[in-house]
Amino acid sequence: MTTSLFVGVFAGAILSGTSLLYATLGETIVERGGIVNLGLEGVLLVGASVGFAVTVATKSAWLGVAAAAIGGGLTNLLFGWLVIVRKANQLASGLAIMFFGVGASALIGGPYVGAVIAGLPKWRPSFLAALSWVKPTTLFNYDILVWCVVPIAVLVWWILFQTRWGLALRAAGESPTAVFASGRNPAVFQLQGLLVGGVLGGLGGAHLSLSLTLTWAEGMTAGRGFIAIALVIFSKWHPIRAIAGALIFGGAEALQLQLQARGAEISPFLLDMIPYVLTLLVLLAWGGAGRLAAPASLGRTFYGSE
Amino acid sequence: MKRLGLVGLLLVLAAFLMVPPAFAASTPQLIIGAIYVGSVNDYGYNRSFHDALTEVAKNLPGIKLLEAENVPESADAEPVMENMIQQGAKLIFPTSFGHQEPAFNVSKRHPAVYFYHAGGWMQSANFGNYFGNTQTAWYPMGVAAGKMTKSNKLGFVIGIPIGFAVGNVNAFELGARSVNPKVQTIVVVTGGWSDKAKEAAAANALVDQGCDVVAMHVDSPATVIQTVEARGAMSIGFQSIEARVLAPKGWITGLGFTWASFFTDVAKSVIAGTFKAQSVHQGLEKGGMVAVAPFGASVPTNVRKLVTDSVASVANGFNPFTGPITDNTGVVQIKAGESWGGDKMGDFSWYVDGVVGKVK
Repeated sequence: MTTSLFVGVFAGAILSGTSLLYATLGETIVERGGIVNLGLEGVLLVGASVGFAVTVATKSAWLGVAAAAIGGGLTNLLFGWLVIVRKANQLASGLAIMFFGVGASALIGGPYVGAVIAGLPKWRPSFLAALSWVKPTTLFNYDILVWCVVPIAVLVWWILFQTRWGLALRAAGESPTAVFASGRNPAVFQLQGLLVGGVLGGLGGAHLSLSLTLTWAEGMTAGRGFIAIALVIFSKWHPIRAIAGALIFGGAEALQLQLQARGAEISPFLLDMIPYVLTLLVLLAWGGAGRLAAPASLGRTFYGSE
Repeated sequence: MKRLGLVGLLLVLAAFLMVPPAFAASTPQLIIGAIYVGSVNDYGYNRSFHDALTEVAKNLPGIKLLEAENVPESADAEPVMENMIQQGAKLIFPTSFGHQEPAFNVSKRHPAVYFYHAGGWMQSANFGNYFGNTQTAWYPMGVAAGKMTKSNKLGFVIGIPIGFAVGNVNAFELGARSVNPKVQTIVVVTGGWSDKAKEAAAANALVDQGCDVVAMHVDSPATVIQTVEARGAMSIGFQSIEARVLAPKGWITGLGFTWASFFTDVAKSVIAGTFKAQSVHQGLEKGGMVAVAPFGASVPTNVRKLVTDSVASVANGFNPFTGPITDNTGVVQIKAGESWGGDKMGDFSWYVDGVVGKVK
């Protein structure tokens, strides 16, 4: 029984896209507050390693997910302490956090390499399992992190655009001075945004280690944190468009592997470039338009509250 | 990117190594040092060396082991080995390909310390090299897969299509064809030796295509084996024979490196003062460097017998790469009467007929 290319790519896109979407949503919240966190890769790694370590130690993937979320949140708060409290340069601090995450995750995960875990339980609604074209695939047989990711994207949209807190956070990203003048401290909203963003990044890492691969390996995110940062631009800082972005990029990765499995007479090295060529094409197509959507004070340090 | 983490780990390791041994009462007759590029718990390459040295320590009295994990393949490996030598190590096993040059540098400074490096070519009076011939050993794995498959489609996930990996795939397909002329092997390349998420996606893609047996050549087989197991397909492992615990249902068999008997001989020669640096290459022969893992419960007796016979014939010198062998574009690559062996194993730039895939 073979599945069609479309079904195979779609199924693969959902599996690879889930961790990307969590990371992208997290970074979207952070950047809406005017902060660029280039350390997202490190946040994902901390989430993946902490989640795996706690799952092995407690034999509970649920506790692993919770620990990954906390680990991601704390890593982002550390970043927040650097760039908001200490007012360090955001780009340099982000790279420092990335290296910190690489090292810390290697240390945390080291003793647990090779451990065998059951992973997050998967569940497929029985009416979907009965469909003949679904049954032999991975479609709709998902753990809670996959099932929740789109609702969470909608929730992030609602929080950002429909709540008072979201308005304040976005205002901090556009003009922290205005927020400050209105009697509120933009740093508080930015730190809260970083915490939520870190929690989402941690969940993305947890999906990689606790569901998709069931292993921890050093540097296992393989650049997904950076792809997520590109996805934030792709989706023009909008959580709903991020869903499409994550699916397209997850699908590009799945497509090249599916094409190989179908014996496409194309060099595997060329196929491997598909996701990156796609990134270039998207940036070309978007051109300067992305700039207009970016929060006006993105990446700037706010000194006004001193 | 990996560097800083490794340096941090090294510092921690170095701190551990510098603590003087707590009980120096019984002096060991030989201290052996080993450096690994990754963690020894990977169910893969690094684990195979750790298991072998543990066995050496069991076989011979008075052996003390000094092991260091996550040692980078750069000049940073030198101080780790120097430290082991200061602690009295007389025999050092640098186990990753990239440890070759740093280890060779250290060996020049310490002519009375002996080195055996895995997978390289450098040699001197106190520096030898060795490796397992995996290519021919994949032939019996193909026999097993060819008999077990129902869809006649086998999958093979490889990290990077280097000559040795391509040779493994070729022998696998040749073995499978020998018992099942209709069988195909589909290759998926992930582009790295340890990109876990892509390995999972690659394994899924192969099962989507109807492959019911999946083999792999990546650093650690864990992700591919577990993904395939979850999809209800079967797997053939590589690197460490312990990987079978990852697939209680779908495990067929697998290949692992077994260095224990070679390491024991080397350790004995150092103790006896008769060390000789050589270039040692062994395969499936008894006491050799490649071994076949136990069969999974689902493998029937007749298949077990076929595979065991095939292992014996390869161990006795049967070479699957004996012409005529045609590649998957119809070109005769090995002419009738010719055969490829030894040094040629890293030269494969083509897949045999029956493999679906492109090397370049």
